[in-house]
Formats: sequence, structure tokens, C-alpha cells
Amino acid sequence: MEVLQLIVNGLMAGTILAVPAIGLTAIFAVLRFTNFALASHMTIGAFAGFVANVTFGLPAVAALGFAFVIAGLVGVLSDEFVLKPFRRAGFITTAIGSIALTIALENIVRFIFGNQLRGYDLPILRDWNIHGIRVSPQQVENFVVAVIVMAALFAFLSFTRVGKSMRAVADNPMLAAIKGINANVVARLVSFVAMGLAGLGGMLIGLDTTIDPLIGFKTILQIFAAAVVGGLGSIPGAVVGALVVGVGEELSLLVLTPAYRTAVGFIAILVVLTFRPRGILGQRAY
Amino acid sequence: MRKTTRRTILKTAAAAATVAALPINANAQSGEPIRIGILTPLTGAGGNDGPRMLKAMTAVFDEVNKQGGVLGRRIETVVEDDQTNPEAAVRAARKLIEVNKVPMILGTWASAVTAAVAPVCWESKTFLMTVSGADSITLLPHQGFLIRTQPTSKLQATAHGEFMLSQGAKRVGIIGIQAPFALPNKEHLENTLKPKGAEVVSHVIYEKDKPTYRSEIDQMMRGKPDYIYTNGYAPDTVVLLRDLYRAGIDMPKFAQSYAVPQATLDTIPPEVSTKVYTGQPSADIESPAYKLAADRTGDKEPDGYVSQATDWASMAVLTIAKAKEASGVAMKDNVRKICQGSGQKVYSAVEGLKVLAEGKEINYEGASGPCDFTDIGDILGCRFRYMHVVKGKLEFLKLV
Repeated sequence: MEVLQLIVNGLMAGTILAVPAIGLTAIFAVLRFTNFALASHMTIGAFAGFVANVTFGLPAVAALGFAFVIAGLVGVLSDEFVLKPFRRAGFITTAIGSIALTIALENIVRFIFGNQLRGYDLPILRDWNIHGIRVSPQQVENFVVAVIVMAALFAFLSFTRVGKSMRAVADNPMLAAIKGINANVVARLVSFVAMGLAGLGGMLIGLDTTIDPLIGFKTILQIFAAAVVGGLGSIPGAVVGALVVGVGEELSLLVLTPAYRTAVGFIAILVVLTFRPRGILGQRAY
Repeated sequence: MRKTTRRTILKTAAAAATVAALPINANAQSGEPIRIGILTPLTGAGGNDGPRMLKAMTAVFDEVNKQGGVLGRRIETVVEDDQTNPEAAVRAARKLIEVNKVPMILGTWASAVTAAVAPVCWESKTFLMTVSGADSITLLPHQGFLIRTQPTSKLQATAHGEFMLSQGAKRVGIIGIQAPFALPNKEHLENTLKPKGAEVVSHVIYEKDKPTYRSEIDQMMRGKPDYIYTNGYAPDTVVLLRDLYRAGIDMPKFAQSYAVPQATLDTIPPEVSTKVYTGQPSADIESPAYKLAADRTGDKEPDGYVSQATDWASMAVLTIAKAKEASGVAMKDNVRKICQGSGQKVYSAVEGLKVLAEGKEINYEGASGPCDFTDIGDILGCRFRYMHVVKGKLEFLKLV
């Protein structure tokens, strides 16, 4: 029973992690760099959702939409005006530039909202007890939202022309260019969707806990671990990686004290990359 | 010939007094300012306390500067944010010491931060004042370059244990953050509970920054506690309280006051914080220094941290005046000469400066307590203030 409870806890946590992890890996697939500014976009999404929910009184689901759009728009602007010029200098420079960007954006949020912890205007419900397994209604709601968003994203990538263009650029940019796909438009689109997902993920974490300007920074390493374990650049890989990290961290409690939890994600990176250097599902975008 | 009247005598006396005062003020403006480093957590887990501590210190220095400074020099502060993060704190401390050349650093809060910053300080003969409580801090080989106004983990955990006993606790489950005080606190609680027939039945240490502690709570509950001792900081304790409520665990919970400030309680529904008790080393609320700190900061009831920060700033100024120099070594050698012993009791930096100027010895009695230190830099004792949460609001319970 204990193992089952840990697996349920891990699946819940992993599903939430998967949402921003998809964003990180999508940017890598199309723009070929690891955008650590995802962390601050999670924060921006969480605070945009806070404004929508607490200031404007919108319900949580509508606030999630607000979080997605605001974080996505900031993502497009920050990529266009800050990171795009870096890309000419190469992968490392751009990744380092994204770290600087994330610190700057996080401090802007801090300047506007201050440092204190904040919570959404939601009741906290008691857990459901299903045959001895405890499940939180809020976590189930977050789980459902995350699954719907991921399903919508996969449908978008599979069945729409724009989604197919994004995959084409990710898989073979040169061939995509020959086919007349505008790489700049795809880059903006990917920034919008990826950072929108980051914002959504930030708010989903906040719904279950509280928010502060460091909410994205606290989880970025786990998200990075998830994306690498699944295969950096692979969107289904990000989901698999997030679940592996989420469940792995929980199951580790059977043999380790909770103080070593975070190490599990990084041990998973070492183990997976030793046997599968491109991650569990490789680097193919989809 | 002009007639000498009482009014002209008064005018002349006032003018003379102004002229007499001029050299002091002019001197205060002309000398090189004394730079003092402030390294508080303005962000991170300590972000609730750091800014208030900074304000308290600045208020003392402003008051001193208005009275002409110390040794004829203005006090100037150089402020850095330790981010409640040891790595960031060490970088900031190095900058304060190597670039700004400060003789002392005031303000580290988290024990892990102080443990990281202290070696940088004693290696460079920079004096450090802190509120970190872990026993290990003053056991470091700091050569006298460190004092703390916060009671040790031992003093605190013993007081907390006695409080829980007074509430009828028999089986205490501890769940707390990975920090230097985690294991010592458990040991001290065990030593306090055991002779009274109670015990620690489970102890779980968790990592910071996790979005949920459900599994950790399950581990702790296996010991079947009847009272929970949470031992973390505000960001993780609020997650813990939410998860405890969700799990239907309604037994009493004790936390350090810094882990459950009112600002945190405001983020959660009131039902989540029922049966939450908090404790903190109390300021000396009957001391004149405490009343002065309240006036200076505009805070009606300064808490332990604001009071301690007030005392650091006051002791810094008075030690510089006593030693007649602003250096780390002078601080180390002279700080106990102004805050303990048989000198005239003073309750503020400005008052102390006046008495020192008369050539008398002083004994600074602070807002946080008497500010008497052992050889290794610990305070000798203090009172504890307990609060409980009623409908989401902190209310005073008792002072012990």
C-alpha cells in the first residue's frame, strides 16, 4: 500500500512537472538551446494567474488561461529582444544569456509584487481516501488540467498545419526552410507556446502550494532533469522524463531519507545518459 | 551703549552653544565615513524578517548620524542581500569585505548562511553579528569574531519542549527542514521530553523548495504522534500545514515564529492553521531600549529580530566609540566592554555615546535582552514568547 501511495504521489507531481518540461524541450527542439529563462516565465505565469484570480476574481481555470497568455507573450518579447541576438554567438552564450534574463525578470516580479508568500483564492479541501490511498482533490484537478493541456498540444502538433511546421523546423531546419516555412514565425510561435506552458506550470504548482518570486527558480533543476532524462528535444520524452523523475523521487523514500530527494533526479540523468546518451526517447521532437 | 537684557543673554548663550556644537557636526561631516556591512536576507525564506531588521539598523545609524556620528565620522551602511542562500551570501560577504572594506557585517539570519559566511569573516578579521541559532555556529573556531543575540538551539529547543509538555504532549513527531539545527534540536527535545515521561516518536528531515511533503508526512505519522513539532522556514512550513490539513491531521502543531508569520497565515484559509502554536525568543518588552526601538522603527511591537538588529547597530556604534577605531579586531576586543559589567546602564547608542564622552564606563542593555555574552559569543539567557493562531490570526498566549 505504501508503494502504491508513493507512486500516486509521484504521478501527480510528475504530471505537473511535465507541463513546463514540454516547454523547455520544445524550445530546445526548435531553437537549439536550453532556455533557463523558463524559470522566470513560470513565476510570471503564477503571478499573472494570481492577479486574475485574486485581483479580478476570476475562477482558477480562467486564471490558468491568463497565466498561459501573459507568460507566452512575455516569452515572445524576451526571446525577440534579448535572446535572439545571443543566438548568433552560439548555444552556450544563449543559455548563459537566458540565466541572466531569468534573474532580471524574476527581480521585476519581485519589484512589483514584493517578496512575501501569496496564495490563490481557493478553498483547501481534505484528501479523498480511496481504498487506503489518499488523493488531494486539488492535485486531481491539476492532474486533469495538465493532461488536457498536453493532449491539446499533441493534437496541435499532429493535426494543424502550424504544428506540423514547428515539428518540421525541429526535425530538419534546412529542409523546412527549402519548403518555405518561415523559421522566424515558428520561433515566435514556439516561444509563445513553450513559455505559456511554463506560466501554466508555475500556476499549477502555486495552486497546490503558495507563490513567491522564486517559484520557478526552485523547480527549474527538476524540470531540466525531466527534459534531459526523457531526451532533450523530445516532447513525449519530456512527459516520460517528468514521470520518471516524479515517481523516482517518491519511490526513493523507500530506501533514502527525504533529505536526499533531489539527488534522485540527477542520479536518473547519470543512469539514463550512461545507457541512452540521447535520453529515454531520443531527441526526435515528436 | 546697548543695555544688557535677559533676552540678549539668552540669545548670546544660544549662539555660543551653537558655535560650540559646530566643530562636532562639522567634524562629523568632514571625516571619512565608517562603512558597516549589512547582510540580511532580503529574499528567500528569510525575506520576511531581513527587510525589517535592515530598517531597525538603519534607524539606529540615522539617529547617531543626526547627533554628529561616532569619532566625528558618519556611519554609512553597505547593504547586500544574502538571499537566504549560503553561496550567494559568501559572494556578498566577500564583496563587503574585499571591495567595501567593512570592519564588520551585521545581519545573517539562516544558520546555513552564517556557517558559510563566518569563516570568510574570521579569516579577514571582520566582526560578525547574527541571529542564527544552531549550536554549531558559536562552536566554530571564530577566534572571537562572532557574537549572536539569538539563543542557541539548546536553549530554544528546551523551551519548546517545555511548552509542548505544558500542553500535554506525550508523543512528539518532528518534521523539519535539512539545516544545521535539525539534529541538535531533535536531541535537545528528546532530553527535555524524556525525563517528563514524553518522547520523540518520529523524526523526518525534508528538503527545502518542494511543492509537496505528503510522503514525508506519511513517514512521520507512522510513529503515531499526538503533537507535531515543525522545524522549518516559512515557505516550506506553509506547504506542510496545507498538506497536514489535507491529510486530515488536526492535532496541535508547534512552529518557530519565523516559520509562521502573519503574512504567511494570510495566504491560507483559517481552518488550515487551527491548533498552530508558535514560539520565539522574546524581546525584552519592559526595557527602555525596546520602547525606543518601537518609536524609532514606528513598529508598535518590535519582534525579536527587529530588537536584535537594533542591538547590533547600537553595540557596533558604542564599541567603535569605546575602542576609538572601527576595525574587526577592535570590535572583538571591546564589544563586551560596552555591554556587560558594572558600567552605567544605557539603552541606546546616542545615550551611550554621551556617557562614553564623559569618560564613564557603560553597560548597554538592549531591546532584545541584557546583551551579555559568553566567551564563545552566546547570550546567557532570554525569555520566550508564545502565540497561538485563532481564526487565522496570531494571538499572544504567554511569556515564559
